[in-house]
Amino acid sequence: MLRSDQILATVEMIQKENLDVRTVTMGISLLDCRGGDVEETCKRINSKIIEYAGNFVATCDTISKKYGIPIVNKRIAVTPIAFVGAGFLKDDFIRIAKTLDQAATAVGVDILGGFSAQVEKGMTKTDREFIASIPEALAQTEKVCSSINIGTTQKGINMDALAMMGRTIKELAEITADKGGFGAAKFVVFCNQPGDNPFMAGAIHGIEEADAVLNVGVSGPGVIARALERLIQKHPEPGSLRLDELAEEIKQTTFRVTRCGELIGRVVSKSLGIEFGVVDLSLAPTPTVGDSVGEIFKILGVDAIGAPGTTAILAMLNDAVKKGGIFASKTVGGLSGAFIPVMEDAMLAEAVGDGSLCLEKLEAMTCVCSVGLDMIAIPGSVDADTISAIIADEMALGLINAKTTAARLIPVPGKEVGDSVSFGGLFGASPIMPVRNVGKSSRFIAWGGRMPAPIHSFKN
Amino acid sequence: MRKQMIISVMSKDRPGIIADITGAIYKLGGDVADLNQTVLCGYLTMILSASFDPEVTKEDLLAAISHIKTRCKFEVSIKELDPDQEEEDMGPPEETYILTVQGPNKTGIVHGISLFCYNHNINIFDLATTLQNNQYTMALQLDLKHCISSLETLQQELEEYSRQSGLTIMMQHNDIFQVTNEIALH
Repeated sequence: MLRSDQILATVEMIQKENLDVRTVTMGISLLDCRGGDVEETCKRINSKIIEYAGNFVATCDTISKKYGIPIVNKRIAVTPIAFVGAGFLKDDFIRIAKTLDQAATAVGVDILGGFSAQVEKGMTKTDREFIASIPEALAQTEKVCSSINIGTTQKGINMDALAMMGRTIKELAEITADKGGFGAAKFVVFCNQPGDNPFMAGAIHGIEEADAVLNVGVSGPGVIARALERLIQKHPEPGSLRLDELAEEIKQTTFRVTRCGELIGRVVSKSLGIEFGVVDLSLAPTPTVGDSVGEIFKILGVDAIGAPGTTAILAMLNDAVKKGGIFASKTVGGLSGAFIPVMEDAMLAEAVGDGSLCLEKLEAMTCVCSVGLDMIAIPGSVDADTISAIIADEMALGLINAKTTAARLIPVPGKEVGDSVSFGGLFGASPIMPVRNVGKSSRFIAWGGRMPAPIHSFKN
Repeated sequence: MRKQMIISVMSKDRPGIIADITGAIYKLGGDVADLNQTVLCGYLTMILSASFDPEVTKEDLLAAISHIKTRCKFEVSIKELDPDQEEEDMGPPEETYILTVQGPNKTGIVHGISLFCYNHNINIFDLATTLQNNQYTMALQLDLKHCISSLETLQQELEEYSRQSGLTIMMQHNDIFQVTNEIALH
């Protein structure tokens, strides 16, 4: 029997502090679904998804009830579709997106990722057709998410693809203007994209993966925030509390949070007879009050998110999360770190509104955390080249630091600084973030070609 | 085949009780298997299982323990186990849950909760309670294997019980507590 205080600490974490498993994501390889034509391919894709994920949602729900821990999202990630559809044309890819959407709806998952291509070194004719299909494909589907990997530390950045990204994002936002440009919220550009990330919009089932695998993304910024508050309020000698003790608290709390994710993932995986992949240790916020990464900055000592010290706090938070999580789980992967998706985190969004958090500070913060410029609503008038250039800066951070970075920017049509946009649900809401120096980067983007891989990538 | 006995001992706590009791068992050629002890308000109680040669009787063991020189007499109870009764120790079954109950102290909390469990045919594996600053806390390890209600109904009834009694009641699966508090991942 466990000690009562341990039992009560766990009860607090689950019942009062928003502990949940943010996502259980089933990765399914579609490489063997290729048929002679798009018709046949779509048929096979549909059958394979239904075969593997038919009982997925029901199983997750049963296990969630048994353990009393909510599984917020049930998702599917598939092999990057540009590989599956080699040789297909734009309209064929739109057709595949619709099939993926129908299959996702049929099995009842919340969202499906993997409408993706990996073009970090060069683009095939297929890749270009595929990228051209993205705006319409995402506009005509509900559950499909798309991602493009345009750089790796090993290969450098594909600047031709980068230039296309700004235009794709603009088109996506404009084609979904009636929904505030929501299409762009389902599209993310990566450097060093992992093949086992369970989080959206960037989840794919990498070509290095087995036929099917189950990855889990934990949540828990609320749990960390409450644990820190408790430590600060109930410390026996309040004046003597130091930062390293706070880091230790984050580490221990992350251990507990990760263990719950690992437990749920392994039980679901066993029930479905599908191999368990990884736990992604990311601290993923939700727009719910009390489930915010932004709140942790304030608890740890800055009065405004974005004030000097914010980057240092994030560095410590990210590191402590990894240290606690890595020991808790047998296999860790995906993005693993703290997320700062502005729209999905009520307090980050608020900081954008009151002007304390700017784009440049967010960029600095992404140097020390796991993802990048995520879910940022910018004015609809920002041009494609400026968007590409913002992405270029973010990709360069990933390239040089050998880490994953990503950009998910939403140029909200017809909205300017002072306005705000809301997508509802987990996608959240935010005031429009100002972008400075608009229209001053076109000459840089026009070069095209490749940004070479950095010197420290040559390790052979 | 050796004879299994269950021995329960209560006494005022002092150093050397376990040494005394296990000494008496040792002299009779007994082999101690499981032992659990706890101290409450200065009194020690322990329960242990031991195996003996078939000719050793519980009267022999009782006599051996009563010959121990001690200021506070041991209160001892011994049961011989029927070999057919022996159950393998399989660890907690999958339906093991932890119930926590918290609230201001009043009479009848333990009785009320244990009666609730009994009415649902729930066996209590383990139970610990503490009283601090007039706040009463109970943590129970429950076996729901033979529970007459579904998990969902049970949770609803616990909510109702919580509302009526003013106690904060939570029930979660045992595995959650194990994985969040133990180093090893089973």
